[in-house]
Amino acid sequence: MVPLSWYLIVSAALFSIGVFGVLSRRNGVAVLMGIELMLNAVNINLVAFWRYNTTIASVTEPVPSELSGMVFAAFMFVVAAAEVAVGLAIIITVYRNWRSVIPEETDTLRG
Amino acid sequence: MFESPTLQTLTDYNIWIALPAIALAFGTMFLLVIDVFLPANRKHWTPILALVGIGISFLINLFTYNPEQTSTFGGMFVADAFTGFLNIVVLITAFISVLLSTDYLRRTETNHGEYYILLLLSATGAMFMVGANDLIVIFIGLELLSIPLYILSAFRVTYTDDRDATFVLKSEESGMKYFILGAFSSAFLVYGSALLFGATGTTNLREIFAAVGPILESSAENSGALLLLIGAALSLVGLGFKIAAVPFHMWTPDVYEGAPTPITAYMSVAAKVGGFAALFRLMIVGLSGLTLDAGVDPAAWQGTIQVIAAVTLILGNFVALSQTNIKRMLAYSSIAHAGYILMAVAAVGSAGLVPDIANTAAQAGLVYLLAYAFTNLGAFAVVLALENNDGTGTELSDFNGLYNSRPMLALAMALFMFSLTGIPLTAGFMGKWLVFSAAVQAGLIPLTIIGVLTSVISAFYYVRVIVNMFLLTEDEGSPAVGETAPVRYAVYASMAGVLIVGIAVPLVTNLVNMVSLV
Amino acid sequence: MIQFDFSTIAFFVFAVLTLGGALGVVTNRNLFRGTIWLMVSLFGVAGLYVLLSAPFLAAVQVLVYIGAIAILFTFAVMLTRSLTRLNVRYTRLWPSALGAVLLFAMLVIGVIWPVFGGNELYNQPISDVVRTTTDLGVALVSGEGYVLPFEVASILLTGAMIGAIVIARDADEEEMEQ
Repeated sequence: MVPLSWYLIVSAALFSIGVFGVLSRRNGVAVLMGIELMLNAVNINLVAFWRYNTTIASVTEPVPSELSGMVFAAFMFVVAAAEVAVGLAIIITVYRNWRSVIPEETDTLRG
Repeated sequence: MFESPTLQTLTDYNIWIALPAIALAFGTMFLLVIDVFLPANRKHWTPILALVGIGISFLINLFTYNPEQTSTFGGMFVADAFTGFLNIVVLITAFISVLLSTDYLRRTETNHGEYYILLLLSATGAMFMVGANDLIVIFIGLELLSIPLYILSAFRVTYTDDRDATFVLKSEESGMKYFILGAFSSAFLVYGSALLFGATGTTNLREIFAAVGPILESSAENSGALLLLIGAALSLVGLGFKIAAVPFHMWTPDVYEGAPTPITAYMSVAAKVGGFAALFRLMIVGLSGLTLDAGVDPAAWQGTIQVIAAVTLILGNFVALSQTNIKRMLAYSSIAHAGYILMAVAAVGSAGLVPDIANTAAQAGLVYLLAYAFTNLGAFAVVLALENNDGTGTELSDFNGLYNSRPMLALAMALFMFSLTGIPLTAGFMGKWLVFSAAVQAGLIPLTIIGVLTSVISAFYYVRVIVNMFLLTEDEGSPAVGETAPVRYAVYASMAGVLIVGIAVPLVTNLVNMVSLV
Repeated sequence: MIQFDFSTIAFFVFAVLTLGGALGVVTNRNLFRGTIWLMVSLFGVAGLYVLLSAPFLAAVQVLVYIGAIAILFTFAVMLTRSLTRLNVRYTRLWPSALGAVLLFAMLVIGVIWPVFGGNELYNQPISDVVRTTTDLGVALVSGEGYVLPFEVASILLTGAMIGAIVIARDADEEEMEQ
């Protein structure tokens, strides 16, 4: 088996790439993709911690907290889906009215 | 293995203690169905039913207000005085926001029943969040609080054909900015939560607290403290966005200016209540034992929060001085107020050194939130009364000579400005007094001095509004097109709240003294 | 040291898919290709779930993320297609890159390596006992388990659905008449 730290490093790298995507892109859709990468990084972390955690093992009768990591990850799917649906709806509406989905070109507001 | 729930098992699980939040969720779903079947000429019933739903939840909350800590859903939801008190704040905020919305939506031609449903959903999220005792529930509650708000701040988008109207574009832009930064910040929050989970093996805050001690003691895994610290720091980044603390505040002025004014009023309070509730619970219940040298050092995160609080106070108050638009000024003022409440959070960090400081500081933070809720809602109600249908009328100069045209509104606004400054006999004074004394008790003298000095500075921009209203008498004053009956009720209710919290002190302190998180 | 058995090789394959896809997402000038890269990355994550003995999550990852979310992105890119090809690839390229690298360094050098790197305890899962999908399902609906977040999440989905419809629909006929 692969050590836990490898998973965590992959997750940290994915999170950092996502942060880079959010900070460097100007297009709303591209920014949202960066956020999705970050959420996936969180999920890798949760599942890896769940699998390797010392408190989980050796018990045969499941108690709720043993499943925290996996359940948390399942809720992340829900939240990610909700965020994407709402986010893309907002972005498309903005595009329809502005012909632009670049956050900084929508500049009636002072920064 | 698994039995279908009967009424008896429901009672065993003690779900009644979460009843205020459940009732509001249920009422919202009910309203969602009702709204579809209401004929077009009866649509004015939707806000009335929304108010009824909020009222019922409020009554249930008063009857179930109990100082003892009872938990349900396997310890994920806690009903104690902390939950009960903040539920009151959330419900009052939602109630006043609905009052402000009815005529505003009609005159801006955005009158749609979904608006109230989304508003109530957001309030439901806030109520689940204030009772949350588990990282998962905190996260889901935060999302339920935020996602409707993203939509509501862009709510003036689609319903106009006049694509040149600036205020529509502002609303869209505000929704998009709020969404992107909000989603970005919740990713940080949840990454931090994942690291806390990895360090402790649990998402329950009480179990996290129990796990912190052994992690710090065991030398083999001593670096586990690092994991806790970085997890707390990333969670702080995420919650810092929600409460608009510097340096995570940059969305605030734009979103506050662009969003429809009733929504600005609502989110300036509700988002802060949710964020601070999570912060207090995480820091007190979960991580107050995270110190490098127990009994000698304060909690390891105290220094960071002190710095954030100080920077928030200074930047919020100084930038507010130069604003000419009242909504932007109130946005910076709300950033500054986040700084004052953060002082209470920082004071919690001395929990291991000063006896009972955690409860004192939490109580101070709660009173501050209540005072801030009434004052800010009232101030935004007056702004809304002056706002024209096309979104203009919110410059500071529009307040010139308001006393001539609308003396009552001018007096109310003066009261709210005094309360935001913290003049005695107003709610704001109570909040500041309690927060400052908690900070002094915790030994955070430099931070308290910064707090007092910035309060004095804040008087400049608050008093400027009053000067504009009362002393520039040659101006006719704004016609205040938005001053309709519900808005007037909202203003009166806020005034009453400000005065009651400021004068009838025992009433509030009796409620809040029951709060005990440790 | 690590033996190069099947799971190690599989780990590397999926890790490369995940990170390579992610890099494709953030560097590609063409947004449509970006969504394809996103799918690659999400598929890699699903593979990691399988290695971590969470097959149910892997299936959900494929169904929800690749099947729904990535498709939603594709739609969004198509609906805003005049912008599919970006003129400006980045703003603030170097500050963002620096920020991301610093964050990564902080996480890995500051936390992950000192805590987990040298610790034999974390090289293996303690036992092979793994919760089944049944356990997950029961935990999600049992009163002592996660029924509260489960219900709140369902309200959240309702709210998101209402919100997305409200915001994206055109002015309907009644409003047109006004």
